[in-house]
This record gives sequence, C-alpha cells and structure tokens, in this order.
Amino acid sequence: MNRSEILKTVNEVFIDILDDESLVLTEETSANDVEDWDSLNHIQIVVAVEKQFKIRFTSQEILSWKTVGEMISSISSKTL
Amino acid sequence: MEQTINYIYNKIEAINPIHSKKLKKNIAFFDERYDKLADAFFKKYIQILQLQNKTLDYAIDCYLQMIADVNSETIEFLRTGKYTSSTFEEVNQRVYARPETMEYYMHGLIMSQFLWKHHYQMLDYFINTLPGYRNKTKSYLEIGVGHGLYLSKALEILDDKTTLTAVDISRTSIALAKSFINDDRIAYNLENIYDYNNGEKFDFITLGEVLEHVENPLQLLLKIYGLLSDNGVLFFTTPTNAPAIDHIYLFNNVNEIQAIIKAAGFEIESERSFLSEEVSPEKAEKFKIAILYGAFVKKAKITQ
Repeated sequence: MNRSEILKTVNEVFIDILDDESLVLTEETSANDVEDWDSLNHIQIVVAVEKQFKIRFTSQEILSWKTVGEMISSISSKTL
Repeated sequence: MEQTINYIYNKIEAINPIHSKKLKKNIAFFDERYDKLADAFFKKYIQILQLQNKTLDYAIDCYLQMIADVNSETIEFLRTGKYTSSTFEEVNQRVYARPETMEYYMHGLIMSQFLWKHHYQMLDYFINTLPGYRNKTKSYLEIGVGHGLYLSKALEILDDKTTLTAVDISRTSIALAKSFINDDRIAYNLENIYDYNNGEKFDFITLGEVLEHVENPLQLLLKIYGLLSDNGVLFFTTPTNAPAIDHIYLFNNVNEIQAIIKAAGFEIESERSFLSEEVSPEKAEKFKIAILYGAFVKKAKITQ
C-alpha cells in the first residue's frame, strides 16, 4: 500500500470517528487544522487505525505525531 | 483567580494542545459557584505547593504526566476491553509502593478536580445534597480521603457537634488531606478499612472513587454496611470504563454499579451520572466513554 492509499484509508477513519463527511486530510494536516481532533478522538482514531491496518503502535509513536503524514510514516513502516 | 485558571489552561495548551481542546469545552459550563470553589481551592493548593518548595508549573507537569498515563491506559483498554491491572498487588507494585509515581499521580488528580467537568459536577451534587442529611448526621466517616476536598465540604456543611473520621490506606493521602484541612474535629486513621473496627456505627459514610481500586467491591460495600447505622446514609462515587494506572475493577455500565449496590443490601435515594466527555449518549456508548456515577443510598428495608 503506498502513502496515498494509506492517506485515503486514514481519511475514512477520521470521517467515521469525527462524524464529518466533508473532512479532507493531507499529509500536512495537524490537530490545529481540525477542530474536533481532540484527545478523546485522537485515542479513538489511533485504535481504529490499528484495527484497520492490523498493526500496533508504540506509545512513543502515538505521542510523536504532529501531522497526518507522520502517522502515515508509522503505518507505512509496519505494513511493508 | 481567573488569572490562575487561565495560566493553567494556557500552559497546558502550549504543552499539549490536543488535550487543551477538551478542557476548553468545559469552560463554558463552569459557573460563578465554580469560580468561588476553584478560587479558594487553588489559593490553598498553591500555598501547600510552596511549603514543599514546588510551583504551580510542577503541578501542571504532574497533571500532564497523569494524562499521558490515562491515554496509554485508554488505548490498551480499547484494544482489549480490560483494565491493564486486575489485582491489588499489581497496582501496589506499579503505583502505591512507588513514591515518585504516587507523587505526580496525586498532584495530577488534585488538578483534575477542578479541570474536569464531571469531577466538579459530582462535588457540586454532594454539596447540594448533603445539607438534607445534616440533622440526622451525628457521626461522619470518609473512606479513602484522597486530597480531602469532600471532607472539607462535610466539615463546613455538617453540624459543629458532628464527629468526623477519615480512614485511608495511603500515608501520602492522609498527609495531603491534613495539609488541606487542619482541624481538630477530624480524627485521621492510617489504616486499611477492612481492619478498621472500633465498634462505632456511623450516620453518614462517604466513599469517593474507591470501588474501582479494589478487587471485590461487593466485599467492601458489605463491610461498609456493617459500619453504617440503621438509618445511616452512604454517599459513593465510582466510574464506568475509566482506565487508569491503579484501577482494577471494571464496571462496564451504570447498571452493573446499581446491581452491586442492591446486592450489598442498599437502596438508592438519589443518583447522578456524569459523562467525562462532551459527547452524545450514542457516541459515549460507541466509544466506551467513562461515566462518573454517584448515589446517596441507605439500607434497604427487609420485606418478608
């Protein structure tokens, strides 16, 4: 799966968790750009992404992401 | 006061902007009464910190460390459907027997009392309801006194002649409660509640967020039943779906809490459920959002 395919799937997870059909993510999107991307939703997104890709993130990874692109890098490294 | 609260919010926003979004949602809810309570509380708390050569920044760091713990426990909870620890011995080794963990955890919890809406709502419920029991309460017992905030309110609300007793298993908690409330009317006991038995029955018992810390909540409620006078009242609180480093008993929903109360021989006089996040009930269920449940209960009448 390439990065744009991962982004598309991650976008669908965000839409489901944040309940916002209009949400369009880019690799540069951060929590500052998405009002409802708060601590509660962040945790739900993490767990939903894990289930979607059948992977596990480490605590360090979860804390280190500043943008969607960084999350995609973590996913990409586990789904090679 | 507003300055102190704003300082806390701004500092948290700078360090953890995602978490600060949650806190900002709470601000709109808080009223004048909150401002007064929080004002008195933080004044006292900052004094206590200063006596320990600590600052409010230190307390904010402790709070954020606790939040990091809660987040990682929540992720594990959502993955497995269980709390990470299930025995007292496990959490004793992980938390209670580690002074450095207890230190930040206790300060984090203190901060949460006035940063989390549901913690404030529960305190408000207690303060509003306890006066109705004032005349009947000649003796008051609090089990698991924590930072002593509920005890301090009981001291204010109850009659001057009412005796007040506090029992806590943690030396840290007792010391902290004493630093918040230095009053001769309160008898502090550093003891496991299961070992506590001076033959006295109490008219009112408070048990705030303790049941989730024990392996067998029913056993604890039965012990409390024995400590309560025939017409006595128990006020207790406990959360559902609230992963934390020292929570071991999982209540999946409010029904499970109500059932255990009934099984211990109590009936509910009044009850409240407060959601820990600003979400719809549907989303709360889907996401397993914690609910803080609290109730005033008394011994059920035996019907034959």
